[in-house]
Amino acid sequence: MRRGWCAAPLALLFFVVVWPVFQLFRQGAGALSFDFLGDPFYRWRLAWTFCQALLTCLLALGIGVPVAWVLARFEFPGRRMLTRCLMLPFVMPTLVAGIGVLALFGPNGLSGINLQDTPWLLLYGNLFYNLPMLIRAAQEGFARVPATRLAAARTLGASPWRVFRRVELPAAAPWICSALCLVFLYCFSGFGLALLLGGQRYATVEVEIYTLVAYELNLTDAGALALSVMIMTGISALIYAWLEMRLGRAARGRAEPRRRTRGWHQRAMLGGALAIVAVFALAPLLAIVMRAIVPDAWGVLSDEETLGALWNTARFTGIALVSATAFGLAHAFALRRSAWFRALSFLPYAVSPVCMAFGLLLLYPGLGASLIMLLSAYTVLAYPFIARSVSAALDAVDEHLPAAARTLGASPWRTLTRVLMPIIAPALARGMAFAAATALGEFAVTLFLSRPEWMTLTTLIYQHLGRPGAENMNAAMVLSCLLMLLALLAFIVIEWPSRREAPCSN
Amino acid sequence: MKVRHLCLAAALAAICAHVNAQALRVITHSSFELSKPVLDAFQKETGIQIAIIKSGDAGEMLNKLILTRANPIGDVVFGLDNTLVGKAMDAGIIEPSRAADGKGARYALPGGVVSTDYGYVTLNYDKAWFAKNKLPLPKTLDDLTTPAYKNLLVVENPATSSTGLAFLLSTVSSMGETRAFDFWARLRRNGLKVTNDWTQAYYTDFSRNGGSRPIVLSYATSPAAEVFYSKVKLDTSPTANLPLTGSVFLQVEGIALIKGGHERAAAEKFIQFMRSAAVQKDLQTTMWMYPVMKGTPLSPVYGYAQEPAAHQTPKPEMIQRNSQAWVKRWVNVVLR
Repeated sequence: MRRGWCAAPLALLFFVVVWPVFQLFRQGAGALSFDFLGDPFYRWRLAWTFCQALLTCLLALGIGVPVAWVLARFEFPGRRMLTRCLMLPFVMPTLVAGIGVLALFGPNGLSGINLQDTPWLLLYGNLFYNLPMLIRAAQEGFARVPATRLAAARTLGASPWRVFRRVELPAAAPWICSALCLVFLYCFSGFGLALLLGGQRYATVEVEIYTLVAYELNLTDAGALALSVMIMTGISALIYAWLEMRLGRAARGRAEPRRRTRGWHQRAMLGGALAIVAVFALAPLLAIVMRAIVPDAWGVLSDEETLGALWNTARFTGIALVSATAFGLAHAFALRRSAWFRALSFLPYAVSPVCMAFGLLLLYPGLGASLIMLLSAYTVLAYPFIARSVSAALDAVDEHLPAAARTLGASPWRTLTRVLMPIIAPALARGMAFAAATALGEFAVTLFLSRPEWMTLTTLIYQHLGRPGAENMNAAMVLSCLLMLLALLAFIVIEWPSRREAPCSN
Repeated sequence: MKVRHLCLAAALAAICAHVNAQALRVITHSSFELSKPVLDAFQKETGIQIAIIKSGDAGEMLNKLILTRANPIGDVVFGLDNTLVGKAMDAGIIEPSRAADGKGARYALPGGVVSTDYGYVTLNYDKAWFAKNKLPLPKTLDDLTTPAYKNLLVVENPATSSTGLAFLLSTVSSMGETRAFDFWARLRRNGLKVTNDWTQAYYTDFSRNGGSRPIVLSYATSPAAEVFYSKVKLDTSPTANLPLTGSVFLQVEGIALIKGGHERAAAEKFIQFMRSAAVQKDLQTTMWMYPVMKGTPLSPVYGYAQEPAAHQTPKPEMIQRNSQAWVKRWVNVVLR
């Protein structure tokens, strides 16, 4: 049965990602050459891409871990809403996020600091997208440290710092490390943000690949560059998968309950953590909201164009969510025993979207502008979230549970629906929330062929930003706010059934 | 269960393919736009179904067509201009159209591409900024390389933007290769800012939209568009053209049959439709280009944009022969 499960996601990855990209580069040259490494320009691009990914990891580690600890240990009003808002950066279209970042740290920015044409702008943008992810992962790690272990350490006379360093950090380390792998992977293969914030000097390899393929049709160099990106991202995806398989053991013991802050230093810690979240994750979003607050600009919401785009967005997100759930579950159930297959779910990120878009055209010219192609692209980009979330939950399932069910005479189907599904339901919901949010804000899809009647909110934002005039800018900002709201809604609605959490103690 | 899914997928694919085969597939760049009533009227009158397929920036669109020439993804292509038509001809992706004669059109394109509209790529400036800073407008392109105009200009990268390429071509055409690249080197030292595309330049760097640069490379019709889209009634445009010699490029856009495409009769009708009075009127305020057909009345809002008196545009053959090398040289001079 397991073998059967894996057919669907493997076929999807093969026909939508691997084979088209392979065909594209076969067109290019025949002979793969790494001569481009002799060019100092490409060497700089590769080195910078590596450095910015590494730097983002280090910064996220230094900033994110203390914040995650505070969020995991203290209870305060609005904590749940804050953790949801933390996921908002993830769904913002890159162009809008970029404008938000520039509204803060660009020339004439609200902060008064101009970071344009420095590497810091891209690093800040990277943190905006990735710090929240690390915080969420580390928070989960910290939350799982058994209360009894902490109590024992304290009883034995360990100071809070020592408890953190010797008990909590080692326990949360696998979660943190796996999140770091993801941060590295996203930053290394990052495209949209680097295109906008990197400027000409601090752009990444993906931007170079995009230029080579889309504007020069230079498939030889593009192929070699794409291969080097795939190798790097492949390595980090493998490390991630390997780590993840090791951290899935079922949590034993009750988790440490969250407490209300006591005393000035705890309040200061909480205040500091909130300030960091505000500066890195929420400030660019607020900047967009501020730019959207313009008299008369909100009329755009009742435009026929906007309503059509809203309907398309809802439709595509809905369909993508259904198919992504099917493929995600299949991938998770079939392939969780092998680190290689787990790492495969990162393939859609490792492959540059422009190569995929051109490859698909080459391979399926008749389907180029068909709905089925568009929805496949959505599915491929959204389903890994579900696959990863569910496989992590499956790791935590005690092997004896399904075995016991089988012994008691339950059929495999019954075991699945009555034993496994209830256990993985919260993880499935979380994965689906991410998948929906990705589908809502998907930028890469704009690289594929599109038809005016398929206009989504994201493409409508881009269309407004493609015309001159202050009204168009305002309309784009208002629509971005709408997109934020929808993403928040997706998180709230989908995660609703699983909102029960450990009660806090006062 | 799986067999049923496969059948379903195959059926869906078949339906999609079927729908596509019936409709006329029109490949366009991402800025293509016509009013819905105009397109609907054509479909109703002729009974031809149109599927508009947007394929990215014009350069990207052409590359997609070249890549898929063995098995074309469309029947007609709109948006090839005088910078791309040479490349399209060399790649052999165009089939000459019967409507290709330039009768009644102000400008023609070679290779059987039917011209439909034209426009000018040129510099725009932020009127309020210059008034506030009491800086006189530059008189020549060379002025832009002097300390008074340091850090004031943003342009698009010719490697990734057709607007940027147009500007590069007009500087070379006006100054000659050696002087032009010397000019670009001086511009770089004087704090030239380069972006990947028009949207970035206009909406993140242009001072009118919160950036720091009061001069931006855009189109001659942009000042009129600023007035048109504004909900508050404006007497004058907040921006204006700065048509310095060497910075005005005449862009002629057209439509062509794709070699190996289907629906020939419908395609020819659509090409004629693009030159019809209705479209020539409509495209002025949707795509912000001038109508190519003589005698088409201009939209009143075009009074806010001056048509440049002169332009510096190389011939299509010259562009085709040199543009790749010039772009490469430009990247070396300005970016690396």
